[in-house]
This record gives sequence, C-alpha cells and structure tokens, in this order.
Amino acid sequence: MALRELKVCLLGDTGVGKSSIVWRFVEDSFDPNINPTIGASFMTKTVQYQNELHKFLIWDTAGQERFRALAPMYYRGSAAAIIVYDITKEESFQTLKNWVKELRQHGPPNIVVAIAGNKCDLSDAREVSEKDAKDYADSIHAIFVEASAKNAININEVFIAISQRIPVVDCGGGAAGKGFKLRRQPSETRRTCC
Amino acid sequence: MALQGQEEIEEQIEEPEDFQEQDVSISPAEELPNGPGDEDSDPVLLPWDRFSAWLHCICVVGFDLELGQAVEVIYPHHSKLTEKEKTSICYLSFPDSNSGCLGDTQFCFRFRQASGRKSSLACFLDHFDRDAPVCLKRDQGHYYGYVYFRQVRDKSLKRGYFQKSLVLISKLPYVTFFHSLLKLIAPEYFEKQEPCLEAACNDIDRWSTPYPGKILTLPIMGVVMKVRIPACYDKPGTSQLVQASQNDALVSIVLPTIHEVDLFRCFCPVFFHIQMLWELVLLGEALVVMAPSPAESSDTVLALVSCISPLRYCSDFRPYFTIHDSEFKEYTTRTQAPPSVILGVTNPFFAKTLQHWPHIIRIGDMKQAGEMAKQMKVKKLKNLKTLDSKPGVYSAYKPFLSRDEEIIKQLQKGVQQKRPSAAQNAILRRYFLELTQSFIIPLERYVASLMPLQKSISPWKSPPQLRPFCQEEFMKSLEKAGPQLTSRLKGDWIGLYRHFLRCPNFDGWFRNRRKEMTQKLEALHLEALCDEDLKLRIQRHTEVEIVDLVLKLKDKLTQAEREQLPVRAGTLAKLQSHIESVILSLPEDLQGILYKPATP
Repeated sequence: MALRELKVCLLGDTGVGKSSIVWRFVEDSFDPNINPTIGASFMTKTVQYQNELHKFLIWDTAGQERFRALAPMYYRGSAAAIIVYDITKEESFQTLKNWVKELRQHGPPNIVVAIAGNKCDLSDAREVSEKDAKDYADSIHAIFVEASAKNAININEVFIAISQRIPVVDCGGGAAGKGFKLRRQPSETRRTCC
Repeated sequence: MALQGQEEIEEQIEEPEDFQEQDVSISPAEELPNGPGDEDSDPVLLPWDRFSAWLHCICVVGFDLELGQAVEVIYPHHSKLTEKEKTSICYLSFPDSNSGCLGDTQFCFRFRQASGRKSSLACFLDHFDRDAPVCLKRDQGHYYGYVYFRQVRDKSLKRGYFQKSLVLISKLPYVTFFHSLLKLIAPEYFEKQEPCLEAACNDIDRWSTPYPGKILTLPIMGVVMKVRIPACYDKPGTSQLVQASQNDALVSIVLPTIHEVDLFRCFCPVFFHIQMLWELVLLGEALVVMAPSPAESSDTVLALVSCISPLRYCSDFRPYFTIHDSEFKEYTTRTQAPPSVILGVTNPFFAKTLQHWPHIIRIGDMKQAGEMAKQMKVKKLKNLKTLDSKPGVYSAYKPFLSRDEEIIKQLQKGVQQKRPSAAQNAILRRYFLELTQSFIIPLERYVASLMPLQKSISPWKSPPQLRPFCQEEFMKSLEKAGPQLTSRLKGDWIGLYRHFLRCPNFDGWFRNRRKEMTQKLEALHLEALCDEDLKLRIQRHTEVEIVDLVLKLKDKLTQAEREQLPVRAGTLAKLQSHIESVILSLPEDLQGILYKPATP
C-alpha cells in the first residue's frame, strides 16, 4: 500500500480551538486548559483511504497576532488547510474570511480548504449561523463542518473529507513506496599483493 | 563508470520497525515528547532539555556603528555564555572585512569552551553519544558555531549595508545538518525577526534527542527534516540516507548525510596533493589553509579533518580563525615550534604571521567543481611571501608513501566525462576510507592481540590487565600483516607508522581502544562472576567475608550501569538476583542494612 505524506495546516483566530481539534484527531483527548501555541506545533497521524495510506503532517499554527507573519511557512506546500472559527465569536468568522483571501493570493494553487466551526456544543452562545457559514463555504468550494473538539463531533470527518478531495496520484510506477534506502557505496574489489 | 552499478547495489532497507509500525497502524503523535524515540531516556526531560541536546543556543550577531560587532540576541534567553565566549562568537561570526561576501554566506567556526562548566544535563547528554562514531561524538572542550551571514546593500542604514549573522552554537559536529537547518531558519528570521526564532526554538525543543542509528523526524518551521545519525556499528560507507521517491521540499526534506562535506569540491584546488595532505593530517602536522572567504576556509579545514575518518583527528582545528581569537598568541608564537593544529584563515595578515609554518595550503576562489588545479608541484615555502601568492600547497614535506596515480587519473577522467560532483565525491571518499583502513587495520590487529586470553579471567580474581603497547613488537607484526595486504601503495609505511605513533591522533585512538578493551574485560569478568554458584561458595565463608562480597558485587553492578559495560543481555539482572539471594542467607539485622540502596 502506498504511503502519501500530506501536509495540512490549521489556521484561524487565537482561542478558536485549533490545537484542540488536532489533539482530538491525533490523541482522541481533550484538555480545556491548553497553553497558547508558540509558532506552530506539529503532529502526525496516518489513516487509510481506499488503497492509500495518508500520513497527515499537521502544522497547527499559533493564532496569536505576533506569529501571523509566520503563516506562509506552514501553508506553503500544504495539500490542505483547515480554517477554524468559533461559532460563538462572530469576529473569528471575519478572521477566517481574511485567511481565505490570503490563501487565494499566496497559498498553493490546488490547496483543499476546509472550514470548521468549532465549539458547536455551545450552541446557546452561537453568534455565527450555520447556514451563513455553509453558504460562504459553498461559495468558495470549501469543505464545511460544524465541529466540537470537546465532544468529538465531526473531527475525524473533516480529515476524511480532505482525503476524499486529495487528487489520486498515479502510482503505476511501482516505486511509490516511501521507504528509505541506505546507500552502500560500491566497493571496488580489493587488490592484494599475494 | 565506477558508480554505474550503484542502483543495483543500493539496498532497500526496511524502515526501523517502530517507525514503520507507526505508519501503518495509524498510531498517533509519533513525534510527541516522550514518544518512542527515547526509550533510553528514562529521566523526565524539562523544558529546553531537548533543545539543549541539539544546540547550546542561537545568537544573532549584528554590527553596531559604535561598538562594532555585537551579540544582539541570545536565544533561549537563559542560555549562558561567558564574556570571553561572547567575544569569540562576535568576531568569528563575521567574515574578515576584506572578504567582501555580498549576499548570503554560510560557514562554521570552532572555539574553546570556557572551563569548569559541566552540568548534570551535559553528563546525561553524553550518554546518547555511546553509539555514535568517534568522529561524531559531542565535542568535550569546544563549541561549534554554524553561521548564516547576510550582507546586502541598504541605503536606509547609516552604514549603507545590512550585515547580520544568525549563529547556531552546538557541541555536535553535524556540519551538513546545521547548515541545512540554517538555510530554513535564517532567511525567515531576517524577514520576520524574533517570533521566528521563538517558533524555531520551540520546534527544536520538541525534537527527539539525537540518538545514533535511528531515523529521526525533525519538524522545523513548516518542513519535516529526516535524518539519521550514523552509529558506531554501521559498516563504513553505508550510513547515507536516501529517499526512494522524490519529495516536495516544502513538505519534507531527507538529508543523505549530517556531517559529510563535499571532499571533491573542497580538494579541487589542491587536487594533486590529496594523498600528501592525508599524511599531514594523519600525522597531526601544523597546517594552515589560507582562503579568500570563511566559507572556503571552513569547508577545506573540515574536509581535511574528515579525510582520515573513521580515525578521529585529535588535535585542535579551527575552520575559521581570526586575529581576534583568544588562542591567537598561543598558536602564532615564534618561540615554539608550530602546534599540532589545523587553522583556516582569510585575513592576509596571516600570510606574514604564519610564514614560519611548515605546511600552507593557499586556495583561490573556489572554482566550479569541474575545474581542477593545474599545479602539480608542491611549492617551496620561501616563495610564499604575500597574499598575492598563487594557490597551491607550500611545504618542504616529503611524503612517506608514493603517489597513487590511479585515483588522480580516475578523477581526472571523471572531470572530462562531466561525471556528477556527487559521484566524484563518493569516489574520493572511498579512496580515503580505504587508505585509512589499510593504515589502521594492522594497528587494530596488533592491539587486539594485547587482550589477555579468555581463560585467564577468573571470577574470584580481579580482571587481568591488557598487555602494554610495544612499538617494536608492533613494527615486527607489520612484516607479515602490514598494510601491503590491503593497499597497493608502495613507500615507507614503517616510517609513516613511526611518526604516527608519536602524534596526538595515535594517542587519542589508542586511549579510546584501551578504554573499550578494559571495559570488555570488566564485562567478561562480570559475566564469569554471574555464572558462578554464589550460594555454594558462601557456605564456606565467614559472615564478614560474605558482607565483603556483597559490597563488592554491588560496586560492580553500579560500575556496570554507570559505564554501560558491554555485557550480555540479562547479566545485570542476574547479578542483582545473586546479590539478593546472598543477602537473604545472612541474619536479618544484616539483611536490613545491606538492602539499603548504596549511597551515591
């Protein structure tokens, strides 16, 4: 089975739950008191999709403004971006739109965009309507889910949806395995005097 | 031609099991702290411990119109450097003013660590080194500085130029690795300033520790670097990592080597003299490389030092040395013979200061890897007067071995046929490796014969001693088992060995071997002890003697653990249970006392 490395970045306002989504996906756990991310944190998880193994190389970026300028390092070369907003914070949805614009202008041309409205367990405090968000996502052909890292709702689903949208590569060449080779330098036959 | 067979020879080696398992079994977070990369590192790692396993700190050196070069930032902020170390870093992080390096330049330097600082963390880190080849162990008395220097015109600045260096300070000699790392970090830093350093350091602090023999996955600033630190048990020449399929460099990078420099490119300007240079390095002769820029001086010095690998070059070497260096006086004095060191310099002042040095390599601007020096002859030293002197090797040295014309022809042919530089480098590296091995095998064989016979090991006596190294005996062994068995080179091998036995490289090599063999003896002794029936033995002894035995065994056990003696698996556990059963045979009051853990 071929293994493909897929770089995925998470973008979005500070405190919307990017790291929580990753923790839920990778570790299947939730901690309400995690520290703000510095720069970005990195995790991986491999899932099977049809005949392929998709190894997600997940760059969970810092939402804080002072790290804003670093974002290009993380979406550069990404196969997908998950842009997260908090359904209880209208402002975070506006930030999301700016991220979409930035990706359009500077991101990789074929990047798969997924929009995730996190904290859907707090619907009492909702500020962003599901329909508005869904309409917006459709207008830019993005994957859309409302999710809850806390209650494990729609977290795996986002990644599955991403796998589905990743173009299939032709691996007819056979050499698609990503194994490593240890190179043995060709050794000359030794000459001896006797 | 010689490399055509490479594809077939390449061996598809399975990824290490844990690595592969993780890939297949959808296992989470393989790169998380305390992940499977560190089964040996039981102690809890504190914040910054992982970072410290790779780097001492990151410095930013800038130019202040009033102060001159100055360390602007040290990251992480709590890192300690003495004032003297800071001064060294300042001067060594900028090219000499005459080098005129415009744009981006990378080079490396090495400086003495201020004495008297060995933290418990350092001791702990040394233990990762156990499986590293001698050339790749942490440098005990020195730091390396890996520099990324940028100099660009900037009219908005008073000086008219932006000049800054980002410098990684480390005890690890992984030159290729750190230069690749700098290529990722430095350009981003110059644009985005401190948050970038913060992010980079944070990434590094989550890396698994540099453990030899494993494929390490090191995420840094949006890219994943994959490296393998060679292990001492690798077969020579097999430690390169190659990825089967092409990858997107924005996603992940596989570094084939962490420390090997391009020997062919570095030696191109002095191509005809490579074998003589090998002798000079092997014998620890005082050698200076005068180059137009620190990039060239440091590359060449590192190439020289590595050409005798797997032997470790044991004297001091400075890939980039300046007149401000704290050892400047010590190394340039005329009152003593030049020291056994290799210096790389760019300041023209050295042409005068080091005029009395016996061996001088002058290189001009590094040409494209294809162009080769035409100068065949070694030049007379008296002809070296000024900076304008022509490139070449200036020395009165007469090599012990006759020149190998075949390697010269083979590489020349490669140049004509436009053989890729990597292939030329591989040929040259193999040539040096075979030459060094031919030289060292007789020594290895002789030293192995100093080991006492297995049957002389008795569990109830202290382990037997190694026989001393006797030069004449060794020389005699060369008649039958000398380098002529593996090398076609003729010449005065005996003379070469005589010189070698007097130089620091032999001393360092022999010391290391002796330590390994002594440990092996200790280990065999321990195993012999474990195979004894202790219960039977103690029946014939008094209580005092038994207590004495318990204490001795406990000592042995602590020693074995501390020195990580190469004992058979299970030996230590067996010894532990022996000790316990002996204690149980004693009266209860004594049992209580002896069970207490030994005070450290």
